[in-house]
Amino acid sequence: MVERSQQEVWKLTPWLVILLLLGNFILMAFDAREITSGQRVIRVWTQTVADFVQSPVTTITAGVTNYFGSIANLRNAQDENSQLKQRVEELELELQSKEGLTSENDRLKALLELKEQSKYKVLTARIIGRDPSIWFDSSIINRGSLDGVKLNMPVVASGGLVGRVTAVSPLTSQVDLVTRDKSGLGAVIGEIGSSTALGVVTGTSKREVLEMKYVAGTTDVQVGQSVFTTGQDGIYPPGIKVGDIVQIISGSATTPHQIFIQPAARLGSMQEVGVLLYEPPPKVAFDQKVTPPTKGNK
Amino acid sequence: MEQIKLTAALIIAILLQWTLRNVAEPFAYVDFPLIIVVYAALQRNSLRAILFGTFSGLAIDALSGGLLGANGFSKTLVAYIVSEIARRVYMDNLLLRIPVIAGACFLDDALYYGLHRVLGQEPSGQFLVVASYTLFATTIVGTAVFVFLDSFMNEKLASRKREGFPSRRQTRRRNPIRLGK
Repeated sequence: MVERSQQEVWKLTPWLVILLLLGNFILMAFDAREITSGQRVIRVWTQTVADFVQSPVTTITAGVTNYFGSIANLRNAQDENSQLKQRVEELELELQSKEGLTSENDRLKALLELKEQSKYKVLTARIIGRDPSIWFDSSIINRGSLDGVKLNMPVVASGGLVGRVTAVSPLTSQVDLVTRDKSGLGAVIGEIGSSTALGVVTGTSKREVLEMKYVAGTTDVQVGQSVFTTGQDGIYPPGIKVGDIVQIISGSATTPHQIFIQPAARLGSMQEVGVLLYEPPPKVAFDQKVTPPTKGNK
Repeated sequence: MEQIKLTAALIIAILLQWTLRNVAEPFAYVDFPLIIVVYAALQRNSLRAILFGTFSGLAIDALSGGLLGANGFSKTLVAYIVSEIARRVYMDNLLLRIPVIAGACFLDDALYYGLHRVLGQEPSGQFLVVASYTLFATTIVGTAVFVFLDSFMNEKLASRKREGFPSRRQTRRRNPIRLGK
């Protein structure tokens, strides 16, 4: 080991700083360019290492929280017990009337030969980590490429859309939320097919608020209506609930509506999510779509 | 020995930053790695502080939705600035270190936010609000960590105490009468 004098170290330091800053800046520039499609080796391997810490911590924390939660719940148990007994009696009466409806429903389904099937396979995952930086809201889930998770796969929670997978390591994946400013998805107000209120939902960088753009100002839109994905973005499948409209700044014949949406999924307090093992249909290149004119077609 | 202790402290800080936000949201406002980076910079070892800054920054960026390298950039620069100040100004007093942690935290946040804006990204939250919360939380936790680290690194503390309260030099005065003889 060569011992360096203090003077030598002081002379060396500014050059090292410049070198490190330059390296970091280059990394940033590349990451900014490919933030929607690419993933970095550093991210993948750090996530793999972090999993060995995050998973046990999450398990222990969840156990401790549940234990204290159950103790706190015991206090209210007696009151709840009497209320629940009353509720059970009411529900039993309700159930009897619904049993008749269910059997009728089964008969009609059989008549129409409809099969109940889930459209997409769902892989349940637990959130083991949240963004270590306060400035962003991504989450880390305990499912990775070994479980079949791939880049850009949609993530849902009870209620609606959460976001998409933006980095995959063998054991874990990173999920970017729909509230992020760079996120965007094709959406429709109301049911697909019956509504013409199409637009693009983007993040606002504010938690719990999304914005829907490009909805024609002449379209009739009301607060409380639900917004669903259309599948036109090539990432999310159609028919997933995005959220409900909470505010509308009405447009005109020449300007579109400005619509604000509250996400259907509770993005701030999720513990478990589902990864849709959905791969969008392959994009057809522009030159393949348009068939070149032939002499016979003229 | 001191180097090993500080490196261990940095690794623990990174692990805390990775995990604590999932335990309770307010922990996200404390920048644990920055506290250790500033502490290392105040030890007047610029090289170590800068390398700590880059390493911890990249470790945080790798699990974050932000740009890879943004934290590395800001923490490296903060480490360099603090170490240069510590080289020129005597800052072994805890009271003097508190504004240094606060200033370093604000600078780190400003650089991180600014870099994202320059590269077309929009971090969530209003800058002044988030930066104020972060500054407040990091300064309080940082001061406690500094006290703990000072007592943990015993040898360093002892030497600092000696520097802080130097024993009075008792030079033997020559007897002027004898000189005359």
